[in-house]
Amino acid sequence: MIDFEEELKKFHPSLEIEEAEDAIYNQDLTDLADLLVKMVKESQTQEEG
Amino acid sequence: MLCYNCGCQLSEQDFCTSCGADVALYKKIIYASNRFYNDGLEKAKVRDLSGAINSLRQSLKLNKENIEARNLLGLVYFEMGEVVAALSEWVISKNLLPKKNIASNYIDMVQSSSGRLETINQTIKKYNQSYHYCLQGSKDLAIIQLKKVLSMNPRFLRAHQLLALLYMDTEQWDRAQKELKHCLEIDRNNTIALNYMKEVEQALSPDDSSKGGAKRSREDAVRYQTDNEVIIQPLTVKEPKRGGLSSLLNIVIGFVIGLAAMYFLVVPSIVTRERNDANQRVTEINGKLDDKTATVAQLEQQVADLEQEKEQLNQEIQGFVGDNGTLDTIDSFLKVVSSYLVTKDAVQAGKDLEAYAESVDIGQTSEALQDLYQTMFTAIGPELGNIYYEDGKNALNDNLFEDAIANLEKAFYYDASREDALYELGNAYRRNENKEEAIASYQKLLELFPDSKNAKRAQRYIDDLSEG
Repeated sequence: MIDFEEELKKFHPSLEIEEAEDAIYNQDLTDLADLLVKMVKESQTQEEG
Repeated sequence: MLCYNCGCQLSEQDFCTSCGADVALYKKIIYASNRFYNDGLEKAKVRDLSGAINSLRQSLKLNKENIEARNLLGLVYFEMGEVVAALSEWVISKNLLPKKNIASNYIDMVQSSSGRLETINQTIKKYNQSYHYCLQGSKDLAIIQLKKVLSMNPRFLRAHQLLALLYMDTEQWDRAQKELKHCLEIDRNNTIALNYMKEVEQALSPDDSSKGGAKRSREDAVRYQTDNEVIIQPLTVKEPKRGGLSSLLNIVIGFVIGLAAMYFLVVPSIVTRERNDANQRVTEINGKLDDKTATVAQLEQQVADLEQEKEQLNQEIQGFVGDNGTLDTIDSFLKVVSSYLVTKDAVQAGKDLEAYAESVDIGQTSEALQDLYQTMFTAIGPELGNIYYEDGKNALNDNLFEDAIANLEKAFYYDASREDALYELGNAYRRNENKEEAIASYQKLLELFPDSKNAKRAQRYIDDLSEG
């Protein structure tokens, strides 16, 4: 049996248009390719050091 | 595919032919991102939007610059009614690739109409409000608000889900099922909707053994929908059989009730209508009667006016042709003149003129007649003056004062230039001991003839009479 209160916790308010700008700026865009490049560059730095 | 180190185009080799950087792992990441994108695209094509979102997010976690994956993710969000999320993805996409990016078209499409953007924002605000209503326990308000939201944006998946949850909580299973069907039409593999649907189907098709006779099996009823109402018509219920006599009795009772209803409901309305019609006709007739009465009164007034005018005209005619009328007056005067011209009898003419003057108001006659009268009077006046003076003088000598006064008055009347007649008249009054008339006659003599030979004597008599 579904518990209404528990199910309601799965919902959340939707973003309004005024909040879109903040949402875009706060989005973490770091991807795996970024991590790889960072790791490669760090290893290169260590080798050179 | 470009080298992450120098930006040159990569070849089939596992290293960059330009800078020599190892790109084997980098290529695998990019390939994995592309595979997730393909997976997301396949799922989106079959309307598995939840699955498509998962795949596309994975794709973007591997390679944030996968523009196709980001644009498609925005489209999927938009399809689910998450407009702000869709716009966010498209804006990021446009930042990463400003030119030749379909995301620009999508943003323009949404933002081109301020009304459309406002509607979208209102939809989101109302959804958030209904969510807060749910938290506060105002479920009825939440349902009303969500219905408004869905009327504005029928593809808002989360609104459908929340509305279905509310219906389930209030055990409106059919309505919940309807909302969940809408959810699954938008997103075929939506986990929450599938979970709720399972619950709803269990509620609508409970096991007979477990639930007993509390709920009727769906197969026992015919279900159909009218607007928002689901009609459930049971199949197994049968009308109890009745005997022929009771049916006949029921028919008779029904007939009686029908007659009673006719008598109490229909007949009064007919009577009222007829009464209203009759009253209306009476009012109309009264109105017409009033108009006709007013017309008759007006005509009667006209008749009275015409009668009065006729009377005036008759009087005017009588004034001309009747007894003592203008024509009769002229005729009488012409007879006097004619008689005098024939007989030259001034005394008779004077008597006729006196009689004429008594019967006719000379001042009211025509100007020509008055002129003729004056001419006639002037013609006979001196002769009559002499005659009456002589008669009056003789009567005075004979001490017949009354005759003397009458003749002397006529003498002065016919010839107003005779101051001697006026003097002798004063004497006659004086000798007849009529002091006042005597003084009046002497006074008149002094006024009219102050320089005459009798004026001094008249003054002396006045003084004597006044002293005496």
